[in-house]
Amino acid sequence: MGLISRINSKLIVILISVLLLVYFVVFPMGVLVFDSVYQQGHFNFNNYKVVYSTIVNWRALTNTVELSLMVMVASVIVTFPLAWLVGRTDLPGKKTFRTLLVASYMIPPYVGAIAWVQLLNPSVGYLNQILKWAFSLQQAPFNIYTFGGLAWVLTLFYSPFAFITISRAMEKMDPTLEEAARVSGASPLKTLIDVTLPLMAPSILAGGLLVFIAAGSCFGIPAIVGMPGNIEVMTTRIVTYIYMGDDKGIRDATALAASLMILANSLLFFMTWMLGRKDYTTISGKSTRPNMVELGKWKWPAFIGVGLYATIAVIIPLFSILVTSLLKSMSKPVGFDNLSFESWIPVLTSAQYMESIWNSVLYAVIAATVGTILSVFIAYLSVKTSVRGRSLPDLLTIIGGSTPSIVIALALVITFSGNYGLNLYSTMWILIVSYLVKYMTMSVRTIAASLSQVHISLEEAALNSGASWIRTCKDIILPLIAPSVIAGWFLIFMPSFYELTMSLLLYSGDTKTIGVLLYELQTYADTQNASVLSVIILGIVLLGNIILNKVSKGNVGI
Amino acid sequence: MAQVRIEHIFKRFGGVTAVNDFDLVVEDGEFVSILGPSGCGKTTTLRMVAGFERATEGEIYIGEQCVSSSVKNKFVPPEKRDIGMVFQSYAVWPHMTVLDNVGYPLKIQKVAKEERIKRVKEMLALVHLDEYAERYPHQLSGGQQQRVALARALVARPGLLLLDEPLSNLDAKLRESMRFEILALQKELGITVVYVTHDQGEAMAMSDRIVVMSRGVVQQIGAPHDIYSNPANKMVADFIGLVNFLPGSITDGRVHIAGMATSLPNNSTLSGDVTIAVRPENITLSAENGTMQGVLTHRFYLGDAVDYRVQVGNEAVRVIVKGADLGTFKDGETVYLDFDRIMIFDKE
Repeated sequence: MGLISRINSKLIVILISVLLLVYFVVFPMGVLVFDSVYQQGHFNFNNYKVVYSTIVNWRALTNTVELSLMVMVASVIVTFPLAWLVGRTDLPGKKTFRTLLVASYMIPPYVGAIAWVQLLNPSVGYLNQILKWAFSLQQAPFNIYTFGGLAWVLTLFYSPFAFITISRAMEKMDPTLEEAARVSGASPLKTLIDVTLPLMAPSILAGGLLVFIAAGSCFGIPAIVGMPGNIEVMTTRIVTYIYMGDDKGIRDATALAASLMILANSLLFFMTWMLGRKDYTTISGKSTRPNMVELGKWKWPAFIGVGLYATIAVIIPLFSILVTSLLKSMSKPVGFDNLSFESWIPVLTSAQYMESIWNSVLYAVIAATVGTILSVFIAYLSVKTSVRGRSLPDLLTIIGGSTPSIVIALALVITFSGNYGLNLYSTMWILIVSYLVKYMTMSVRTIAASLSQVHISLEEAALNSGASWIRTCKDIILPLIAPSVIAGWFLIFMPSFYELTMSLLLYSGDTKTIGVLLYELQTYADTQNASVLSVIILGIVLLGNIILNKVSKGNVGI
Repeated sequence: MAQVRIEHIFKRFGGVTAVNDFDLVVEDGEFVSILGPSGCGKTTTLRMVAGFERATEGEIYIGEQCVSSSVKNKFVPPEKRDIGMVFQSYAVWPHMTVLDNVGYPLKIQKVAKEERIKRVKEMLALVHLDEYAERYPHQLSGGQQQRVALARALVARPGLLLLDEPLSNLDAKLRESMRFEILALQKELGITVVYVTHDQGEAMAMSDRIVVMSRGVVQQIGAPHDIYSNPANKMVADFIGLVNFLPGSITDGRVHIAGMATSLPNNSTLSGDVTIAVRPENITLSAENGTMQGVLTHRFYLGDAVDYRVQVGNEAVRVIVKGADLGTFKDGETVYLDFDRIMIFDKE
């Protein structure tokens, strides 16, 4: 009896989570792809032909690929030495640098874009003005509204993906592999070329591909930096088409979105396959001591180099936003007499602003709570059971996470506006579903990692003591994995809270979120209020990260 | 081949002294093991010889070359020390074939390709891997990977071979046979070896001399037999082989052990309260007579021997009798012990 009820409760949970995921992840994407090739009653690729014969769309596709490639290459070139310096040398201040270098990971990309527009916009950009004054230039030296400007901001904001992947691989690599080269007579440089680089190659490529996918799927940065300079990418085209609102617009958007989805997901699977090849695994002995390279006379030049990068990538943009939010008059120069909290008051007392903040918090809390509960079951299923297809729900959440936000949003619009039974359109639920689809995978990963540390015998001991499976989960497993569950909650909460791309397509009059409001302010050129709101968002995200760091003891962070 | 002189080296990490005044000359062609529990500083010492750690104080000479000196502010990097090294984790490069792995030191020395392949093949034959030249490491077993590492360390005919717990990732049977293989190879090439291990059996079986270390300090240096039969202190006696420690005292030049009817001659310079150590195999067990009376409490059958526990007063004495029969004595029986070859140490 005990055994039967145990199997049943497990099966029911599995079944429910699989059904939910199929309905909200697989089905909408299926509908999207189906719609893109099934037109007027039959299958054909005319839709694609029509879409890509329009020069703007073709340009958008080539722009996306070119831009993503540039960002990928630049990120790897910048990141590899940074990861090496921070991970494998006696660079002073390594810990602070590590935090700073992944910090842009937690800043919403569009906030970063707003900051860089403030800094490098050709007419009033702070940095441009400083440089003009310093070198008595006639013209502003930089223009952010260019291809290069777009690549610059994307690189700064997505290189942490490469940094995290590459530095993890560096830490995992057995240092005796390098030492063996040294005793074989190879100089440090020769060791780097013959041993370190070849062994790291898969991780470097994987980090690069992650950057490629993220840059190609990003909407916020191209919308704020690219569009004013008439540089269109796939994501901005898709939004433009959807905003047309007619059938043709949706049809064109669908074809573009399906292409983007296939591009992103196939790259991701290629990457997973590559990293999964067994050729590179070696036996590693006793806890490999971190053998730190002594930089010697290069210590301080390296410190200055890394410090400069961190300042440019993180500190200057944040500082710029903060200063702008505090300006009394935008037309007067920056100075202490021109700084106050005056411009904060209208924002903090505005019903409209407060409602958006409240909406974002509410939706993010619901998404995080529902998502965490589902994540626990999905992670348990994938790590702790031997049921056939146990990792299917896990895989489905990974697919959701790797699909560009814009594609998810469009798929949900098409599927859940009443054509297939459920109508969620212009309710808050469609926003919440979109956050779940996109961000649940982070929470599943974290919880699964912690669950795999809980030995099966602990659970068996509880079952042996007569507890049911549900009871065992409640009394034994949950308390042990509690920190990772809380971490998982924040990993859904934070990106949902400041989400822009999907919210922009899925919100309605009553469900405007803080990301959408900020985007509107920026496009209406209300820079100051945009800055105030950005600072508020950053404050909440920072607070969330501090809690996350405390709870997970520094193991997890955005 | 090379003599290695390690002269009064210290290694400090912050306030912790990991290696404290290590002083040793390894003669040309000698096989010396550094033996000790984990964290005793043996690996740090080896890494200072290899050039992966810099000695805080002291000098190291390999052959005629001074490779590390705190006073002359000299430090030769590992690649310029003419050594071969084998690591616990094998450190065989997974992206290179066996041939490329073993040939790498020669490639660095710019040995012509033909000559290189010839020498690699010879080396592979020595470690019985001739058939595997084209394989990748992931196609080899752990033992085979370790042979690749050994071949790679020896192919450039270095003056000195360093081994850092090379056998501890292998299973027990393989470990045993690899001991003899490494030893045979060393004798054939006549190379100087410094071998780090925590396994006393390994150190005993392979070494010309053993250096026993504990908490960064050298406890004793000597031939295996020397260290086993005349341990310098309690730590060494305890770490090498099995031993019983019993309280005793020395008065009028005789050794008195609690519970023993007679006294024994004093072969030490100590007096007053002392600790007596005696190895379980140096005690004879009898049902009728002996100098010490006790009660047999437990018997463990070991196959080639029986391991007894005998309660004498407050002390449980362990006795191992080779080739004994489990049925000779019964639990609870009164038995008599005789000690052979006692060791006398300070009380503390």
